[in-house]
Amino acid sequence: MQQFGSTQEYVASEQLMASVNVAIALKKPLLIKGEPGTGKTMLAQAVAKSLGKKLIIWNIKSTTKAQDGLYMYDTIQRLYDGQFGEEGVDDISRYIKLGKLGEAFDSDEQVILLIDEIDKADLEFPNDLLWELDQMEFYIHETKRTVKAKQRPIVIITSNAEKELPDAFLRRCIFHYIDFPDEVLMEEIVKTHHPDVEANLLKNAMDVFYRIRSLKDIRKKPSTSELIDWINALQIGGISAEKIKSELPFVGVIVKKDEDLEGLKQRLN
Amino acid sequence: MFTRFFYTCRAKGLRIALTEWLALQEALEKGLAGSSLTEFYYLARMILVKSETDFDKFDMAFEEVFKGVQSENEISKNMLRWLDKSELIDMVDEEDRFRMNEQDGIFTDLDKDEVEAKFKERLRDQDSEHNGGSFWIGSMGKTSFGNAGGNMGGIRVGGQTGYQSAFQVIGARKYRDFRDDRVLENRQFQLALRKLRQFSTKLDIPKTELDINGTVDKTCNNGGCLQIVMERPRKNAVKLLLLMDSGGTMIPYSSLLNDLFQSVNKSNHYKDVKVYYFHNCIYSKLYKTPECENGEWIDTEWMFRNLDSDYKVIIVGDAAMAPEELYSTTGNYRGPNGGLSGYEWLQLMKRHYKKIVWLNPKMAPSHAPWREAETAVKAMFPMYKLTVDGLNQAMMKLISNK
Repeated sequence: MQQFGSTQEYVASEQLMASVNVAIALKKPLLIKGEPGTGKTMLAQAVAKSLGKKLIIWNIKSTTKAQDGLYMYDTIQRLYDGQFGEEGVDDISRYIKLGKLGEAFDSDEQVILLIDEIDKADLEFPNDLLWELDQMEFYIHETKRTVKAKQRPIVIITSNAEKELPDAFLRRCIFHYIDFPDEVLMEEIVKTHHPDVEANLLKNAMDVFYRIRSLKDIRKKPSTSELIDWINALQIGGISAEKIKSELPFVGVIVKKDEDLEGLKQRLN
Repeated sequence: MFTRFFYTCRAKGLRIALTEWLALQEALEKGLAGSSLTEFYYLARMILVKSETDFDKFDMAFEEVFKGVQSENEISKNMLRWLDKSELIDMVDEEDRFRMNEQDGIFTDLDKDEVEAKFKERLRDQDSEHNGGSFWIGSMGKTSFGNAGGNMGGIRVGGQTGYQSAFQVIGARKYRDFRDDRVLENRQFQLALRKLRQFSTKLDIPKTELDINGTVDKTCNNGGCLQIVMERPRKNAVKLLLLMDSGGTMIPYSSLLNDLFQSVNKSNHYKDVKVYYFHNCIYSKLYKTPECENGEWIDTEWMFRNLDSDYKVIIVGDAAMAPEELYSTTGNYRGPNGGLSGYEWLQLMKRHYKKIVWLNPKMAPSHAPWREAETAVKAMFPMYKLTVDGLNQAMMKLISNK
């Protein structure tokens, strides 16, 4: 059996790797939760790369319905065609377009399916997918065709915990909560993105970063991806390591709320 | 396997279903936990627990069941890398190993304590990789500890993973802050309030949305000539009335109440939201501002007349009135009583509105007859503590049909 491991671009904790491998072995969807910016979405890309499989991403929006992932019946197109008496209007299958989930089922090779930010959708959304994720098949009423997974896809689902997910859905998943990385792991993560970062600059930037995170009254804690952006900005700006702590250059990259910036400035003075 | 663990988890409040338990059994059957307690801990957690808010409960259950189990000693990452020689195992056959043991007769007769003591001593002193030797911890050797070694007994310093030992994780209790019975924050308030919605197309509003599927159907049946079908939009039909106690005993909770107010204010998915304040108990006037100034008020009767019984009512207060504040017709020392006692005003509320819940930031955890007013109010309205759990339950109560 293929095993998932850290890649050059993605540093995974051992527990995370174990979760991925257990989910693959048990053929269950893997549900990933964690603070924003801890690399939930990137995980799927890393898994796809590490296992050498194609990645299909289904981005969930507040208006997404479960049906969208299965298939769409392009009624409008059919209506147009019908008005002008086009040929083949009576062949409904011409107007059936598979959604992301359908695409994953219909693929000849095993794929990774990422259902990104499932909590953005309506509360009932996950329940509507129970049967499809369990049985890995669905039925197209219009053409009376059953789409069944040729190769069971590896399903990774991310959630920002904006909404509670239904119990029935959770019971079918393997769950992993991505902890905020500690300083050792963080250093490793930053170095995969910026391999040539100067040691002093990295250390000072991380000190500031963790100090801001530890402030009790901070409204929005900066995340990993923001730290990586900040270090990038510092490098491009050619800021010397000494100035980072005293002047907080480009601090807007990691602190985004006005109130937080004010509080930070007051502390500095 | 581990049925006791299953029931302990449930006793700690984890709602584990049989399907999840069977999934864990399947995982164990496939050998996904290796033979390590720590890997078992993570495996069980990822399958059984589906929210970081429950990690702490799981830790407690795990500790209770497996406390007596001998756990692995903490092995450094480096040492594990030296030891991970699984590819070499096949190169040594059983016979060779047996011979290795025979040559050194002393070591085959193992005293467990002695081995463990020696093991710990070497663990402390060793600083480099050793393979094939007879003293240090290493692979392919013949000491009584190490990996892929020849010794038939002793300690296997296991393998492929360098987990933090389960009990160290539990001891740290780093998920305690995630427990959702702690007092909640603004964002979580908003999320809980979102539960309160009742989509309806049966509202008394005009049909303004194009029903695409219906239109297509009708058009096709009509021989391709367009025939439009309209429908009513789906709207949240919930109307919310929030009444907040801003009496002296509520001052310690002012930031909590502020958060709740902000969240209700921000949630724009209700059909209507009204917020009023009262001081200790509801009487004939309700205040428009939390300062409860005389004059800045509306008549409670006006509210009954203008806000119909479909409004869902959330009353927030500590229900810690003095007996006369609740039962006397002159009990309101701050404003007019309106000829009725506070208790009677509350009864009027109950009679007028179909759905009322009471949120109490300092509710007694169980039946507390000595808190006279709280007990009386609790008998009248369903009361919940102002936490994530409590607010969620209250919202479910408001939305349910019972």
